[in-house]
Amino acid sequence: MSVTVPIVHVVDDDTSFLAAISRLLRANGLSVKTYSSAHEFLTQRDADAPGCVLADLRMPQMNGLDLQSALGQTPNPLPILFLTGHGDIPSTVRAMRGGAEDFLEKRAPKERLFDAVTRALARDSRERGARDRQRELRARFDTLTDRELEVLSHVVQGRLNKQIAGDLGIHERTVKLHRTAITTKLKVQSVAELTRLTQEAVIFPEPVRTFPKGQ
Amino acid sequence: MQPGGPARSALRTPPVQKSRRDGAVPHCCGEPKGVISLITIIWSMNASVCLTLAAINFLVWCKNRETWANLFFSLLAIGTAAFAFCELWMMRAGTPAQFATVLKWAHVAVWLIVVSLVAFVRLHLKAGRPWLAWIVCGLRTLALVLNFLVGQNLNYLEITGLRHISFLGESVQMAEGVPNPWIRLGQLNLLILLIFLADASITAWRRGDRYRALAVGGGAVFFILFSTLQSVLVFWGLVQIPIMASISIVGLVAVMGYELSSEMIRAAQLARKLQESEAGLHEIEERMRLAVEGVDFGIWIRDLARNEIWATDKWRVLFGFPETERLEFDHILQRLHPEDRDAVRLVLEKATEGDGSDEAEFRVVLPSGEVRWIGSRARVEFDGAGKPILVRGVSHDITGRKDAEQETQNLRREIAHVGRISMMGQLASALAHEINQPLGAILRNAEAAEVFLQNASPDLDEIRAILADIRNDDQRAGNVIDRMRGLLKRQDLDKRPVDVGDLVSEVTALVRSDAAARKVKLDEKVPEDLPLVRGDRVHLQQVLLNLILNGMDSLNGMDKKSRRVSVTAHLNGAQTVEIAVSDTGCGIPADKLAHIFDPFFTTKANGMGMGLPISRKIIEAHNGRLWAENRNEGGASFRFTLPIAEKDASK
Repeated sequence: MSVTVPIVHVVDDDTSFLAAISRLLRANGLSVKTYSSAHEFLTQRDADAPGCVLADLRMPQMNGLDLQSALGQTPNPLPILFLTGHGDIPSTVRAMRGGAEDFLEKRAPKERLFDAVTRALARDSRERGARDRQRELRARFDTLTDRELEVLSHVVQGRLNKQIAGDLGIHERTVKLHRTAITTKLKVQSVAELTRLTQEAVIFPEPVRTFPKGQ
Repeated sequence: MQPGGPARSALRTPPVQKSRRDGAVPHCCGEPKGVISLITIIWSMNASVCLTLAAINFLVWCKNRETWANLFFSLLAIGTAAFAFCELWMMRAGTPAQFATVLKWAHVAVWLIVVSLVAFVRLHLKAGRPWLAWIVCGLRTLALVLNFLVGQNLNYLEITGLRHISFLGESVQMAEGVPNPWIRLGQLNLLILLIFLADASITAWRRGDRYRALAVGGGAVFFILFSTLQSVLVFWGLVQIPIMASISIVGLVAVMGYELSSEMIRAAQLARKLQESEAGLHEIEERMRLAVEGVDFGIWIRDLARNEIWATDKWRVLFGFPETERLEFDHILQRLHPEDRDAVRLVLEKATEGDGSDEAEFRVVLPSGEVRWIGSRARVEFDGAGKPILVRGVSHDITGRKDAEQETQNLRREIAHVGRISMMGQLASALAHEINQPLGAILRNAEAAEVFLQNASPDLDEIRAILADIRNDDQRAGNVIDRMRGLLKRQDLDKRPVDVGDLVSEVTALVRSDAAARKVKLDEKVPEDLPLVRGDRVHLQQVLLNLILNGMDSLNGMDKKSRRVSVTAHLNGAQTVEIAVSDTGCGIPADKLAHIFDPFFTTKANGMGMGLPISRKIIEAHNGRLWAENRNEGGASFRFTLPIAEKDASK
């Protein structure tokens, strides 16, 4: 979607390794930015540029896992790849549970490294697309009035116009008018599509829980 | 004692014709027929008592020729017996001529009595002036000579008659005649004898020999005075009794005989005691021998003057010398292990020059090649001039103890080594990280270089930079491995001057990444101008590592913000440097503070409880001290001291 070149952000307190890996990544045609600490990365990075993060797990002050959770709080949570001199099980588990793309030893074969970077960038691009679509859907739902949202909430629960009119204490024809306005504004053809979109945009988190999650 | 005591009475009463009792038979005068005469019994008993004593003491002298006192006592007793016999004969004398002859010969007995009494007192009391003694003997001898030359005897120029007197129910003879003026010489002699005896007694008394002075001197004076008194009484005619000086002399003899025999009893007692103590000595000797054999001690004596060495059989077995071989000092030195020879020689020299005692432990190589550890203790004896003359020594086999010591030392080293390995185990993941870091950089650099080289016109500057980085990273990895290997090496304490700053930074380098992973802030504050300490780098690193790891363990569960371990060092007095490892943990509970250095005491789930005891052993082996305390601001502090390296050693 975006035309900007994705950037591989490398974070490691070991400057020697930082230099070496950035050389290798650059030699393979990737754009690389290096940071010697997690804090430096968090403050200096471009807020919504595409890319991925390659971070050393063990760093003084803020380590890889801390960086991961801090990054998760931002609007642009780039996929993170962990590098470690020697991985131990508890931190690996924690990293993967936190949604890490991969967990690599520093001396992992370069094919694995590039596969992981490629996968991370692809995931970023994919997630970035999903985030864009959701943002666009949200924009569409934002055009609905409060009353229309109220009606919508009843519609996605499969209630009939008559029932809705009864519940809301309005005329059945008014309900029909609202439904027409909703389908026009959201550019949908059917109730099924309407329900899917509503779910995708996570408009009503609570009630929708009765339906199976996911696509 | 003066024979012929009644002489004066004869003088005073004018010489008369002998008044002979009618019908008296000269040879048995006054003696009732068939009845044993009391006088005969008393005088012959006296004589026999004296003769018995004489015989006993003569035999004593025969057995031991040095007991001259006994010989003179014996002569004294013989003289007394002879005198008693003469007295008896005089009392029974048939004619005046017979009386005179007996009286003459009685003076021989008197001479013997006086001379042997003087000699006895001199010998037995060990007192009396010699010149007095010589005068007494000389005068008496002169009197004896005059006795034979002038008149009939010393008492009478001529005995004119015999007088019968009644004594003890019998009739006995007394002489009447012309007294000899030389009798005064005899009386003078008696006086000087008394002076001599009194003087000798006083001397002995003053010397502290009171009992003997009283018995011998006092006895002699008393009995001589008694006989003199009797003579005087008879002389003045106050009593009508015959001469009976022998009775009092027998008393004297009895007192002296008693004195001598009590001496003999004492000697016998002493002999018995000596026998007993000899038996005791033998017993002690036997026990000693048993003890020496029991504890396997070998005893040796080296006579430095004669250059001879004597040793017990056990000692020969210990040093591997056959029983018959003559021992030479050089041969014994050759038996010693070459490495110990000089040390032993030095100890021996020191002992003979210095305080005279030495102790040494050394190895002996037996002819069979077997090596035996010997513990030896010796004492040197010096002569008056301070020259060593004799060395006495005890040696015993301490191979067992030495083996055990060696075993203990090996074990201690093993435990310290295991302690280090287990610490390295704790650090394994951190160390792997530490090594993989540079290795990873090398790999990535190499891979990048490969890519660059695939270009038609590779950027050579870039490749050079890559190669330089590879070299640096290789060095880094090598350093980590060297540090680890140094710590894992099994080695004895090798003390050298060590820089505390280097020591601390080497250890913190090892744990830094582990500390980072555990979110522990590791501080080090070591002043640059701290003097070098004397110690074994690897062992001290082990201690520091152990204390730092413990400090980090104590921070588990603590708030992230206050997780800190700091290593500080400062000069403590003029001789030591104190190094402290402090943490901000929860400190050591008071009830555990006393036990944390006990082996196998641990508060950790998977701890072995050996870290702190090993650390303390290591610091003590450095002549330092390791202790723990809780800090006022919270957390614990482990402190140890190390001696400063001497200036010349730091070169």
